[in-house]
Amino acid sequence: MATVQFEQITKSYGAVEAIRNFNLDIADGEFCVFVGPSGCGKSTALKMLAGLEATSGGTISIGGRDVTELGPGKRDIAMVFQNYALYPHMSVRKNIGFGLKMHNMASSEIDRRVEEAARLLELTPYLDRKPRALSGGQRQRVALGRAIVREPAAFLMDEPLSNLDAKLRVQTRSEIVKLQRRLGVTTIYVTHDQTEALTMADKIVVMKGGEIQQVGSAEELFHTPVNVFVAGFIGSPGMNFFHGRVESGARGPVTRFGGQHIPLPDSCAGMSGRDMIFGIRPEHIRVGLEGPDVGLSLVENLGTEKILHFHTPAENVLELDRTQLGADEERDAQTMLIRVIDDRRYSEAETLSLAFPVEKLHVFDPDTHAAAG
Amino acid sequence: MQKRHPLATFALYASVLVTCAILLFPIYWMVVTALQPSSNLRAYPPQFWPADPQWNVFADLLAKHPFVLWFSNTILIAFATMTLSLAVSILAAYALSRFRLRGGTGLGLFILTSKMLPATLLIIPLFAIFRSTGLVGSLWSVVIAQATLIVPFCTWMLKGYFDTMPPELEQAALVDGCSPLGTIFRIVLPVAAPGLAATALYAFVVSWSDFLFGRTFLTTNDESWTLQMGIASLKGEFVTEWNVIMAGSIMASIPIIIVYLFLERFLVGGLAAGSEK
Repeated sequence: MATVQFEQITKSYGAVEAIRNFNLDIADGEFCVFVGPSGCGKSTALKMLAGLEATSGGTISIGGRDVTELGPGKRDIAMVFQNYALYPHMSVRKNIGFGLKMHNMASSEIDRRVEEAARLLELTPYLDRKPRALSGGQRQRVALGRAIVREPAAFLMDEPLSNLDAKLRVQTRSEIVKLQRRLGVTTIYVTHDQTEALTMADKIVVMKGGEIQQVGSAEELFHTPVNVFVAGFIGSPGMNFFHGRVESGARGPVTRFGGQHIPLPDSCAGMSGRDMIFGIRPEHIRVGLEGPDVGLSLVENLGTEKILHFHTPAENVLELDRTQLGADEERDAQTMLIRVIDDRRYSEAETLSLAFPVEKLHVFDPDTHAAAG
Repeated sequence: MQKRHPLATFALYASVLVTCAILLFPIYWMVVTALQPSSNLRAYPPQFWPADPQWNVFADLLAKHPFVLWFSNTILIAFATMTLSLAVSILAAYALSRFRLRGGTGLGLFILTSKMLPATLLIIPLFAIFRSTGLVGSLWSVVIAQATLIVPFCTWMLKGYFDTMPPELEQAALVDGCSPLGTIFRIVLPVAAPGLAATALYAFVVSWSDFLFGRTFLTTNDESWTLQMGIASLKGEFVTEWNVIMAGSIMASIPIIIVYLFLERFLVGGLAAGSEK
């Protein structure tokens, strides 16, 4: 068990900078998740921590010890890979015990620890099988077993759930969290799935283009995103964005949405005349009587909740692409979503009046994309 | 599954039978020829099994010629060639497959090109090298000469095999505390066993059937001859004892069959299945 520190880490492949200015402190026993779209550098950061990729600059410490120049075997870490990387020619028992054998542990102690890990992960009946005779979920548990027997300073997990089917993924997700709490080992977990990040992590590191965007708890990322990318990336479905000019109204700052005034937070008072980016989460838009009218373009009924789609008014559409908005493939700046949980029937082509609660509106600078006010 | 039409089944078995017959006939004829005097060879109608098989042809062969010596020379050369070729090509293939080498692709293609050169083209420069190093007449000359042709091909075979192995396997071993060289021996080679077996078999068979290099480098005395040279020497100017030559050929085929039977279980693929999801 140990703290993990990244200080001024950079990584370049020739002229391409894969990781820039990476600084991070992970506390002892913390469950830290690196999340971001593919190519954001999260796996590279994890591999540098593992010692599988060399750093181009900066220092990495585990438990206060500088490990930047040490090989993977000397860092006292254990890793779970996306494809599990079980040794196909070894039985489950040997797979789990391999790391201990490499550290010259007595075979009686290896046996004891392997049996114990197998009991914990319900693998005892499969100890003498080869990996090819196991199901996907069992292989995943063997990979976990290989990590936990080592009793390392830190667990490193690289998208360990992405090869499981949806149901098993949810189940294993909570098992990993329980296991981590029980063992209290500092864990660094990489995923592209923000749901995994939100449900598992003590600390989430959102990355994009090789840089950390924001570090914080699920709560902090959800309620106070520092920029447009984090706001759009966290949450499912992600935040709606629109563009507008701040004006001074009778009762404070306002902007126009579809031609109608909507009130803005008081913090926008000093921004009068400036074009800003506004964000509101689909679940925070209220369907009421008082605000701008929009026509629904699509109604998705998910049982308990409904997702209502409408076109962003032309003058409010943002000229930003999906990657800048942190949005997934189904989103674009032309459509906004409303998430409602009620018994009302909605139909396409129906016109609704909307209200954007002032306290739920996020304001971002159009140049830096950083949160403003 | 759809039930196959009886006629299709018949056609399938018939074509398998015909193929096997074509492949096995030379072997059968080798045995038949060995077991009867050469004079019977051109008898008409041919005898499909000799009425009086001459089993003593094998004993004669061993008594009249240093056959055991040729045999052990060839075994030595084949195993040495196989070992040397594998040792070199494993390391070369691993480096080509795993490391981002400057000019790695060009180097790989260059290695492959050297395989395309015919052996006859290399034989004169090799002879010059072996003469100046005093290797002419030594079994090592044949081992080295064969390895120059076998290594390029084996390197490509193994590179192809290593390319299919997920690098995470080695990374996992490194994280588990294995040294880089230990990773090759404990993880890469056991997992690549089918590829290694195929490569070893190729090296052994090519080396075993060599005639050209042996005939060029080992002519000094018949004690360093290989089997292929020995068998060729049995063909006389006026009289050729085909039964003796065929008896020699039968004995020369046995090691290949044994090596194949031993390596066959490793050749069956699918060992890497199960390491991943």
